[in-house]
Amino acid sequence: MLRPLLHFFLIGALLFTGRVVFQGRGGDPPEITVQMSAEATEAQVEKEIRNQILLNEARRYGWYHTDPIVFTHLIRNMRFIEPDSTDDDLTLFKRALEMKMQEHDPVVRARLLYRAREALAHVPKDRMPTRDDLEQHRVAHQDRFEREGKLRFEHVFLSGTKRGEALASDAVAMRTQLADLGDAAPQGLGDPLPGLRAVQSSTASEIKANYGEELSVVVGEGVIGSWRGPVPSVYGVHFVRVLEKEPSSVPALTLIEAEVRANLLSEVRRELSRERMEALREAYVVHVERVP
Amino acid sequence: MSRTLFFVLGVLSVFVVALGCGTDTSTSPVVPDELGRCADFEPLRKPLWGDTHIHTNLSLDANLQGTRTSQEDAYAFAQGAPIALQPYDADGTPTRMAQMDPPLDFVMLSDHAEFLGTIRTCLDSDSPAYENPTCEQYRDALEFDAPPAEVRTTFVQLNLLLAAQPDNAQYPALCGPENVYCLEAGMDVWAEIVDAAEAVYDRTDSCQFTAFAGYEWSGVPGAKNLHRNVMFKNESVTDLPYGYFDEPYVEGLWARLLQECIDAGNGCDVVTIPHNTNISDGIYFENKMANGEPFTAEYVAARNAMEPVIEIYQHKGASECLPGETISDELCGFEIIPFSDIAATNLEIISPPDPTGFLRYAYGEGMKFEASLGTNPFQYGITAATDTHVSAPGFAAEDDFKGHGGAGQPNRYLPPPQGFPDIEYLSPGGLTAVWAEENARTAIFSAIRRKETFGTSGPRIVVRMFGGWEYPNDLCNAADLVEQGYAGGVPMGGTLDPQPGSSAPTFVVSAKQDATSVPLQRIQIVKGWLDGDAYEVRVYDDIDGDSENGASVDLDTCAPQGEGFGDLCSVWRDPDFDPGQRAYYYARVIENPTCRWTTHQCVEADYDCENPTTEMDADCCDPTTGLNVDFCDAVDCSDTNSPPPVPADAQCCKPRVEPVIQERAWTSPIWYQPPS
Repeated sequence: MLRPLLHFFLIGALLFTGRVVFQGRGGDPPEITVQMSAEATEAQVEKEIRNQILLNEARRYGWYHTDPIVFTHLIRNMRFIEPDSTDDDLTLFKRALEMKMQEHDPVVRARLLYRAREALAHVPKDRMPTRDDLEQHRVAHQDRFEREGKLRFEHVFLSGTKRGEALASDAVAMRTQLADLGDAAPQGLGDPLPGLRAVQSSTASEIKANYGEELSVVVGEGVIGSWRGPVPSVYGVHFVRVLEKEPSSVPALTLIEAEVRANLLSEVRRELSRERMEALREAYVVHVERVP
Repeated sequence: MSRTLFFVLGVLSVFVVALGCGTDTSTSPVVPDELGRCADFEPLRKPLWGDTHIHTNLSLDANLQGTRTSQEDAYAFAQGAPIALQPYDADGTPTRMAQMDPPLDFVMLSDHAEFLGTIRTCLDSDSPAYENPTCEQYRDALEFDAPPAEVRTTFVQLNLLLAAQPDNAQYPALCGPENVYCLEAGMDVWAEIVDAAEAVYDRTDSCQFTAFAGYEWSGVPGAKNLHRNVMFKNESVTDLPYGYFDEPYVEGLWARLLQECIDAGNGCDVVTIPHNTNISDGIYFENKMANGEPFTAEYVAARNAMEPVIEIYQHKGASECLPGETISDELCGFEIIPFSDIAATNLEIISPPDPTGFLRYAYGEGMKFEASLGTNPFQYGITAATDTHVSAPGFAAEDDFKGHGGAGQPNRYLPPPQGFPDIEYLSPGGLTAVWAEENARTAIFSAIRRKETFGTSGPRIVVRMFGGWEYPNDLCNAADLVEQGYAGGVPMGGTLDPQPGSSAPTFVVSAKQDATSVPLQRIQIVKGWLDGDAYEVRVYDDIDGDSENGASVDLDTCAPQGEGFGDLCSVWRDPDFDPGQRAYYYARVIENPTCRWTTHQCVEADYDCENPTTEMDADCCDPTTGLNVDFCDAVDCSDTNSPPPVPADAQCCKPRVEPVIQERAWTSPIWYQPPS
């Protein structure tokens, strides 16, 4: 997200990748010991193992020493516990490290975990998607970029407010009147309602939002050519005749390139994170100590 | 400052002509050439729902309150995706989520312009200002467990720059010589904002979602709110998001926008949208220009052209009218916050708002200026918004309110809020609707320019209004109401010219309830007019519906009770019309009563006021909570061993706000101009 962080993450990601490769060639595997309460579940244990691996990696790459936020935080801690100290920041920082303050500070932990996770997700240049990649992604995941299908339909409405107790009988009459129309348009029939159009093209979701679930279902069934209704809503009753179904579609890449790119990058980041985390997990020797 | 004023005076001379050319004043459904790219193009226009006032983690106040969600997250939320809400735990996991259904049609994100560059500068280790103590302090304040007092101090120290008087407005010192560090960084962020809007704007003919680039100009001299949201029509924008430090007078902002956008000849267009005039302590509509002189003809023309609409309601209350001012209007009491300015709001210092900061006053003054200077500077159409600071556009439901932050309660720290998630005087805010041909930038922006807009307090009440001279009395029964409406008059936001031989203007107002909310109760028309120099207002109640319909709400369950109306429609002729008097007319559509968000919270928490045992929020000494000031007055925060003697259920059992509200929609007015 931010330039300095990206800078750190880039370096971090390269280091992570290099380390995993190095370990694969037979170097001494790193070891950690994770202490967990006896009641902790296996999932909690595994989560903490992975956090400790990331923190250990952060430690091995010296992020405790180089991260600017860790630096300022530890100095602030030191100035709090040594308010009369005249030492400069660097001296205080070294003393904080000697005291192993960084090992137990929740802010340092959260910061380094955040940074490590961003490093895991860093996308190297050779994994940045090309236009061909984007097109393949668009085609392979059409459901993600699909535009909801629309239905073009005629709509006649009878207002419950206007017609009151006559609504039911008016609906019966309207049904007959519409049946007698044949293919002709229902010109001038029914009551007006703000936003209602004699012929409109809408998605099922839009119909649901505007008129409620029942009308959405009836129109969504997409029976072409015959009048359906009366369908009740909070407004009164509706009659609809579907004229055309436009199926859902996936737009061309030129129209949705930014959307596809963002989606693919998010996927790449997740995959890289998973791959790198699994590689680290495999490379580590982990000891779990259950404590009461 | 003199440089700015000189610049302003220079460009104002050409301002009116240029803006006149760029303004879409058409009121008939003529289809301009650039429209029509969407499959569901509707020449008679359809209602589209949006929010034009949203803050994300790019805003200083939002990110210091723990908002971590980005502009991309906000756009996703607006389209129906869930969003994470603070507080987060140490691992960065959010403790709360929010989701909205149905989604919005359009959005303009409006992060505060002033600190976009400052924040980026402070987080960029390559920046020469990175080691600046203020930047270090800011970075510290972002840390997971930064002490609330330090966060507050950091926020106040930076944000206080916005409260400087215009002549003293300046970037933080960390921004370097000529503010170059922050200006350059600000350009980068602004480019990213424009790119983010581009990425989500649906350019296919499905036209499912529209995003506009924008920002908020956030001047609050002396804590008196003068904020404006700046909304661009398309991807052609100015190089910088001009904020209060760049242009401390709004005339300067308009001049910049005119020169670098509207006059640039590259298709750029832009409007500024005023908001929260209610907490301006009465200065928002003051007859005073940047040079201290009264308005001139050039100024009023510029303001009219640059500010077609105003935000009548949002998180920090309604700006329509004050109870008891001008006339008796009981519905003016809706979501009035008892604060006169932004500082009083932040600190919860009860102080009576100034009635001259409200829209009803401005409408009257505007007509007077029109009579004396030729143009009405306050001829505002209506919008409403959330002003959310948690990246949640359109999240305006009373029964699912999770707090909007900003001037409200931050909710940054664990645990998640145990009591109200926001200051009880504040509210979820509202929505804007436009009548546009299609869900695309040109159509929506044109609707805003011609003021064919309305605002609601949250529910998606749809209302349409036309004004003309010869509408038939049975127009509400006509299936072609809309065609006749356009053909015989002007829609909401338009201006009626005199019609010799006609007795009085006629208005048709039709409305339908939100399909997921309670029924409507009634429609009112609010008329204001000038009788000589005297400004008069009258509310014509129940032009349709029934204010005595007996609808109510069960305060134990929040279940609505009683009947109402799914739709309402009326043709109304002004019985008191005088063709020689300037006038405006707007409609208010009122829902049946429902629970306010505070009542929903209390019902869900199941408080027993007869036997209070549950502690709702006793943390009087945490400056970030901002709650319970009345009984917190008695708490000695220096004595940490003494828990605050807060009544367990004070907020629910002794509410300081009305437990029941009537949600509503406000149309843009239709103005009448007498013969000159």
